[in-house]
Amino acid sequence: MKTKHSILAGLAGLVAGLVITGASPEANAQEIQISGPLAGAKAVRRIRLHRDGRFDVAPMATFTLLDEFRRNVLFGARLNYHFTDWFGAGLWAGGGISYNTGLADELQLKAVDGRNCAENPNTLACKRTAVSLCRGPNCLGEKQLGSIVWMIAPQATFVPFRGKFSVFGKAFMDADISLFVGPAIMGINERTECAKGTCAPSPTNPDPFSTTGRVTASATFGLGFNFYPTNYISFGAEFRGTPTAWNTSGFDVAGESGPTADDAIDSNDRSVHINPMISVFASMQLPTDIKVSD
Amino acid sequence: MRKNQAGVGLSIALALLLAPVDSFAQGKKGSAAPAAEAAEEPAAEATTEGGEGSAEGGEAGSLDDLCKIDPENCVKVDMDAASKRDIDSDMYAVQQIWALRTNRFEVNPYVGVTMNDQFVAHPGPGVALNYYLFHWLAAGVNANVYAGLNSQSDFNFETSRAARIGQPITEYQWNVNANATFVPAYGKFAAFSNFIFHYDFYFVLGAGAISTRPIAVVDPDNRTFAYSVKPTFGGGMGMRIFFTRYLAAMLEVRDYVFWEDLENPAISSGFNAAGVPLAQDPSTWLAPESSFTNNVQAQLGLSVFLPFSWSYKQAK
Repeated sequence: MKTKHSILAGLAGLVAGLVITGASPEANAQEIQISGPLAGAKAVRRIRLHRDGRFDVAPMATFTLLDEFRRNVLFGARLNYHFTDWFGAGLWAGGGISYNTGLADELQLKAVDGRNCAENPNTLACKRTAVSLCRGPNCLGEKQLGSIVWMIAPQATFVPFRGKFSVFGKAFMDADISLFVGPAIMGINERTECAKGTCAPSPTNPDPFSTTGRVTASATFGLGFNFYPTNYISFGAEFRGTPTAWNTSGFDVAGESGPTADDAIDSNDRSVHINPMISVFASMQLPTDIKVSD
Repeated sequence: MRKNQAGVGLSIALALLLAPVDSFAQGKKGSAAPAAEAAEEPAAEATTEGGEGSAEGGEAGSLDDLCKIDPENCVKVDMDAASKRDIDSDMYAVQQIWALRTNRFEVNPYVGVTMNDQFVAHPGPGVALNYYLFHWLAAGVNANVYAGLNSQSDFNFETSRAARIGQPITEYQWNVNANATFVPAYGKFAAFSNFIFHYDFYFVLGAGAISTRPIAVVDPDNRTFAYSVKPTFGGGMGMRIFFTRYLAAMLEVRDYVFWEDLENPAISSGFNAAGVPLAQDPSTWLAPESSFTNNVQAQLGLSVFLPFSWSYKQAK
């Protein structure tokens, strides 16, 4: 395994090295005229300042990516104020729904419904999965699997890249790339913690499976592509990561001593997930009047 | 030869340049003021004869001067006809694209990373070769090598253990595709209003073959699978950022779609006609139906465009 990772790391390093060495000799991508009438002139003049001194109000839909068991869709908005054309601060917030991934549906079908452990509790598979798999129709999504319920993120936004692009050389649009970072407060639903001996169905507690809401703090960061068809309306997409430790499956996968199941559901069963998500948005810049640079 | 062509070009350019200048400078017929100004300037009178004819005479004089400098390339221009010609006033929306791709080869080595298989990662190096028929369209091939780099994840182990269920998993060996690449969007960014770089977005469609095999999970004692080749197709989208006119960094998300043969979750019992246990009969090892599979991978690498330089057809 380490060998494979070393090869990959080497390849990644090679690519990075080539990028760096290839870029260095001509870091100034476009020739800069150092003599003549343009000597000393700004690289960009008369640029439309879509952000400078303006609010940015953007309703958006956010979709989590690479989900193991539950896919989350958050509906929310972003509100930023930009002190300059390259720096702003604001708030991003959303809340929404979640649904089973294909893997969760398959587990429900084969491991839960297929075994019918409520009726056959003494089979080997049912005994061995008593702590980690609920029993009953749709129980995984309703009583076991974790999901993101809401998220709030105060964030700083930096806009290092500003430009334009053409589509087939005919249509033109202003565009920029923004980077954002900030703390994140996340509300998640997670399998309710239980101590050893209380997590499996028993005569006194036939259904110990349930989920409980938990609030966790983390950091969030990401990258946004923004397109400006007019002076006050834009649209785009953002890619966001929010590293958080949580138990997405509700399984017992580890204990105090390490990656050995201990028949308890607790914080040891959580693992760090980047929680990648993509947002699509339409945005309005206020006031609608736009500044233009020198 | 080149000198002659330059001379002809210079002559025509000068003639065309002078034609509109003259039409602006010349007053309307019967206009008194220019005539009066001309009358007050003896030098002007000496070289012109006033009115409409004087302008033409002056123009002819300019061409004559040019002809004196370079008699071999003396061009006689009918200025009346030239001034009435239709002017092609079309302006190109994007003039002299900085990183022109037309008629250039692209060599694109990259590293691919699996994006959607949580059980087995299929990373590996790859390379794409493209030829741009137009600035916006290329035809080419690409290949990925996965052999020896497939790795099972902790998630696979944890899920299998907790749910006591064996998820059929596979590993890949290689993948080759013929591709068409469309580049509809091209643009440039200013970083901090100072450093300018160019970029483009592209879409790619392709079809080819992939070699894969199942990893024995259900009955590893009896089952050993050989690689087999399946047809594949799919597409993706990507972005290139140009550092120079011939070197760019690229990031592409590509989906290779194919029908995968998975391990049979059931172990056959009994014996075949030869007395061999069915569990050891390779014809019982695969699931009866193929599985529709998306191998989505992110590809990060470099694009080198050849030749390194070119000539523009149109003036800037």
